[in-house]
Amino acid sequence: MAYYAQLVLNGVIAGSIYALFAVGLTLVYGVFRFINFAHGELIAWGAYLVLLFALPPISLPLYLALIPAIAGTVLIGVAQDRFVYRHLLQGHRITLLIASIGVSYFLRNTLRLIWGSDLMTYGIRPVRGIQFAGLSITPTQLLMAGTAVLFLVILFVLLTRTLLGKSLRAVADNMELAAVMGVPMQRVRVTVWVLAALFAGVGGFLLALDTNLEPAMGMTNMIKSFAAVLLGGAGNVWGALLGGLFIGMAENIGVAFFSPGYKDFISFALIFLLLILRPQGIFGVLTGMR
Amino acid sequence: MDYLLHILIVALIYAVFAMSLNLELGYAGLYNFGHVAFFGIGAYTSALLSLAGLPVPLGMACAMVAAGMAGALLCVPALRLTGDFFGIATLVFAEMVRLFFLNERWLTKGPMGLPGIPRPSWVGTGIAAMPMFLVLCLLLTVSVFLLVRWVAVSPFGRALKVVREDEYVAQALGKNVFSLKTRAVVAGSVLAGLAGSLWAHYITYISPGDFTLNETILVLLCVVLGGKGTNWGPVLGAFAVVFFQEALRFLPIPADLGRLIAPLQGMVYGLALILIMLQRPEGVISEYRRSRVC
Amino acid sequence: MLRVEQVTKRFGGLTAVDHITLNVGDTGITGLIGPNGSGKTTLFHMITGFYTLDRGRIYFQDRCISGRPPHTISRQGMVRTFQHTRVLPFMTAMDNLLSAAPDQAGERLCSVFFRPGRIRREEEAHRERAKEILEFVHLTPLSHQLAGRLSFGQQKLLEIGRVLMARPRMILLDEPTAGINPTLIRHLVNILRGLTARGIRIFLIEHNMPLVAEICEKVFVMDSGRLIFSGLPAEARQDARVIEAYLGREDRAA
Repeated sequence: MAYYAQLVLNGVIAGSIYALFAVGLTLVYGVFRFINFAHGELIAWGAYLVLLFALPPISLPLYLALIPAIAGTVLIGVAQDRFVYRHLLQGHRITLLIASIGVSYFLRNTLRLIWGSDLMTYGIRPVRGIQFAGLSITPTQLLMAGTAVLFLVILFVLLTRTLLGKSLRAVADNMELAAVMGVPMQRVRVTVWVLAALFAGVGGFLLALDTNLEPAMGMTNMIKSFAAVLLGGAGNVWGALLGGLFIGMAENIGVAFFSPGYKDFISFALIFLLLILRPQGIFGVLTGMR
Repeated sequence: MDYLLHILIVALIYAVFAMSLNLELGYAGLYNFGHVAFFGIGAYTSALLSLAGLPVPLGMACAMVAAGMAGALLCVPALRLTGDFFGIATLVFAEMVRLFFLNERWLTKGPMGLPGIPRPSWVGTGIAAMPMFLVLCLLLTVSVFLLVRWVAVSPFGRALKVVREDEYVAQALGKNVFSLKTRAVVAGSVLAGLAGSLWAHYITYISPGDFTLNETILVLLCVVLGGKGTNWGPVLGAFAVVFFQEALRFLPIPADLGRLIAPLQGMVYGLALILIMLQRPEGVISEYRRSRVC
Repeated sequence: MLRVEQVTKRFGGLTAVDHITLNVGDTGITGLIGPNGSGKTTLFHMITGFYTLDRGRIYFQDRCISGRPPHTISRQGMVRTFQHTRVLPFMTAMDNLLSAAPDQAGERLCSVFFRPGRIRREEEAHRERAKEILEFVHLTPLSHQLAGRLSFGQQKLLEIGRVLMARPRMILLDEPTAGINPTLIRHLVNILRGLTARGIRIFLIEHNMPLVAEICEKVFVMDSGRLIFSGLPAEARQDARVIEAYLGREDRAA
């Protein structure tokens, strides 16, 4: 029993990180109506930039290295929009998706160019977990969950209590109507990219605290967050949050039943299952009729 | 000389692969970003069967059947989706297939891969086999080219175009959209399976690492660079991409910088995709070159 | 010919079509009118299978067609156009027509490979018919032009030609005269009359009241998802509920 409880706990912690990825992806989808395939690369760049500032010659402590690293990630996120996506929003959504695959591939190979393809770590020494009611939790895990919750609370306050957050939700709801109503579109679009990159970057850092860094880490996590986005209904921020938690738990509990090599398989299969079970639930098949 | 043969063979195999994707992406408007899965299924089927002692041509035929069946299987859930959701679903499918290759060691030997895949007996072995293998590839490429062109100009190809242009109109005109798309995907998968099995028998060693998103990006680049929905576009794109990839090896690059080549190539491919989408989404050869409409 | 029984369609809390029952008999041209947003197009989508029904049944030539997919309904001889013209812009006018030919053997992959002779003969026959239709809608000189380059009015004609190509028993036209000039309207009316002479039944949504009065033998009037009138066009103009529906709100009344 304690074994399964431990799996659930691990799942919640992993899930809180996936939630950070998924809210950004779903925000972008909600406002711009396309899946940013390069979202995964923001995750990877966040993690690697921390490494850049934490290693010699800069050698900042990790928590200080996080600040310039996140700034860099946000810059990349905004640059994606400024140089690529902005020019394609009027066209076919497929053009955008292919372009975002291109962006993703470009950014991933830039990572490989700078840091190589080998696994890297922050070099945190493993610490014994804190025992609590038969469960074990490491300080790193506590930090991960704590930071994730902190950022999600910030997001909640931002979206519900500020004018900018309200305009953002209005745009996600109906872009044309919002523009007519005088919502400052330019500010909203920049905000969306800043938020998406910020959450991806922080999430990438938290993820790398407990695992390795590798250039391909972006794509796997992008696909997992996409599963979370689908689960919550594309464009739905709180849905994506719950979706992320669910994916984290499904993955960790799944380990008890499948070989660990299939860990990623679970979220992939989940995407397919969702598509089969509620194909129209995700988006109206008849949009663009008349 | 052998090197030139090698480049030509790889380019021809990629041409078949690109044409098979073009059938879906160009003619039917189905953005399949998981096409490498069928290439991989073809490669593994053919490799496993011929390693088990089956004649190579039979293995290749089975590869095409297996890839086609996998294509039909993918259609059931994935074709409920349109546009970018279909794209992501197929991409996820390809990753699932790759994980399968990686984990089912009893069948695929996992990350170790399958070495010593035989070539057709009449082609010969080793370097000596290259000219004949080139002839084989050339014959198959030309057949596939003619086949795809034949299908494209047939009423079936026209119906696919209708589906691509406007699904609602297609339905209103009595076209079974699901069935047309399924047939396009199955046909594309069969040809991708052929390309994959050619690849396996040429390289003689395959592992799950050969069938990743990288290959999808390469073949996607071949199609959109050359011109989707045209007969020559994918062939042209395949030759351009393969020559670019292989030509870099001739540059006098210091050995310690050698490890930078692969990432640099990747950056160029990514950038190329972005620039094509920004500047000329229809590719070098445009389907509508005679008369542009807005 | 077409019987709609008690059909209902809801979108969330809004009932777009509310227990509509109507019978389009063997009448040449039947009109469906009503203020904007009264549910006419939704009803068309339901009849042609593009929308599912929340309740009710639809019969075409005494066969139940509700719940069938759009392409099956189309193949039974009921073919529609769309409110906004939807030609296939990147195909020629000729290919637009050819693609509408019903039951083409060439659309089956096996026949493409194994029965090329039959397909060639079939294509020739379709091509001949397409030429006749282009002649009928006065588009012969433009047959090799990309449809996207035709003028708006020509696209409307092409769309009607394409519907004809499908050998329909009944055609459903969603606002065929919207946005075209009076000369073209006359031309269109002649075409529609020609069709009824060939035994094709027409059911159309139209806002141009004088035109409805001129060409329709029977009209149905919808308002807020309900059927409020059925009968002769001349009577509709005097019916109190119809007048109220149109004048009760600012709209394009006749």
